[in-house]
Amino acid sequence: MADRDAGAPATGPALDGRSGETSQEQAAAALRARVASQFGRSLHIRTLDTGSCAACEQEIRLLAAPHYDLHRLGFFFTPAPRHADLLMVTGPMIRAFDVAARKTFDAMPGPKIVVATGACALGGVYPADAFTHGGVGEILPVDVWIPGCPPSPLALLQGLLVAVDRLAEKAASMTFTADAPPEKVPG
Amino acid sequence: MPLWFARGLRRGVVTTRYPARPEPSAASLPTPPVFHAQRIDAGLADRLCEVCPSRALRREGPVLIFDVGACTACGRCREAAPGAVTASGEFELAATARDRLIKRIPLAAEARP
Repeated sequence: MADRDAGAPATGPALDGRSGETSQEQAAAALRARVASQFGRSLHIRTLDTGSCAACEQEIRLLAAPHYDLHRLGFFFTPAPRHADLLMVTGPMIRAFDVAARKTFDAMPGPKIVVATGACALGGVYPADAFTHGGVGEILPVDVWIPGCPPSPLALLQGLLVAVDRLAEKAASMTFTADAPPEKVPG
Repeated sequence: MPLWFARGLRRGVVTTRYPARPEPSAASLPTPPVFHAQRIDAGLADRLCEVCPSRALRREGPVLIFDVGACTACGRCREAAPGAVTASGEFELAATARDRLIKRIPLAAEARP
């Protein structure tokens, strides 16, 4: 079912992307195409809780429930980072988790995707202080950001499909302004 | 099941797409607010920034800056300005760059009722 296992291990020369400054963009495009072709059909997800309140975890668990059934889309959860293609990080990245987060990320084979999940991970809820970094982006190279507190399973599903390039992102074109009067205006 | 199997063999597609029809439960989700900019002046914008518990709102001169990524959809800004802030109903908000989630909303010089 998963074609990705048949492919060669992803340690080709395109991965380092440091062959030359001029060809950097070409290498990036080639890498993106290669990642899309490898990840387009099926991939394994490792979740990483960096101090989350567990609301995000509740929603992530629901992805495997029959109603959402993310396995039909080719996504699977794995308990081992060494088997994972995608790291789904929740929580504000507490400082006590520095070593564990780094080890998890390093243990994953490349190419790999990091998805920051929920408002904490995006830096919304906790400011950086003595206990947290105040966001996953401070420590790990994040590829996709999924807002929400917690993000609903549908939002997570859309984020995962954006991460593997199977769905176009919509957030960039949204303005969150409305000039038309709202339908019901109390007062 | 046999039908899916036959279709998979025929098309070479082993997985299905994202929901083909709109998901009915999405209407009841808490979603980030949408701002009716004509009804919001600097004073109201400052009040909205004060009630926001997750630092998703701040004002820079005549522009309200809304960080969708930081928003927890708690609804406090909607309660503070019921006519000017309403629920967006948008939940498909994933972005590949953090700054794509930061929206600039031009404010009205004088709030219209």
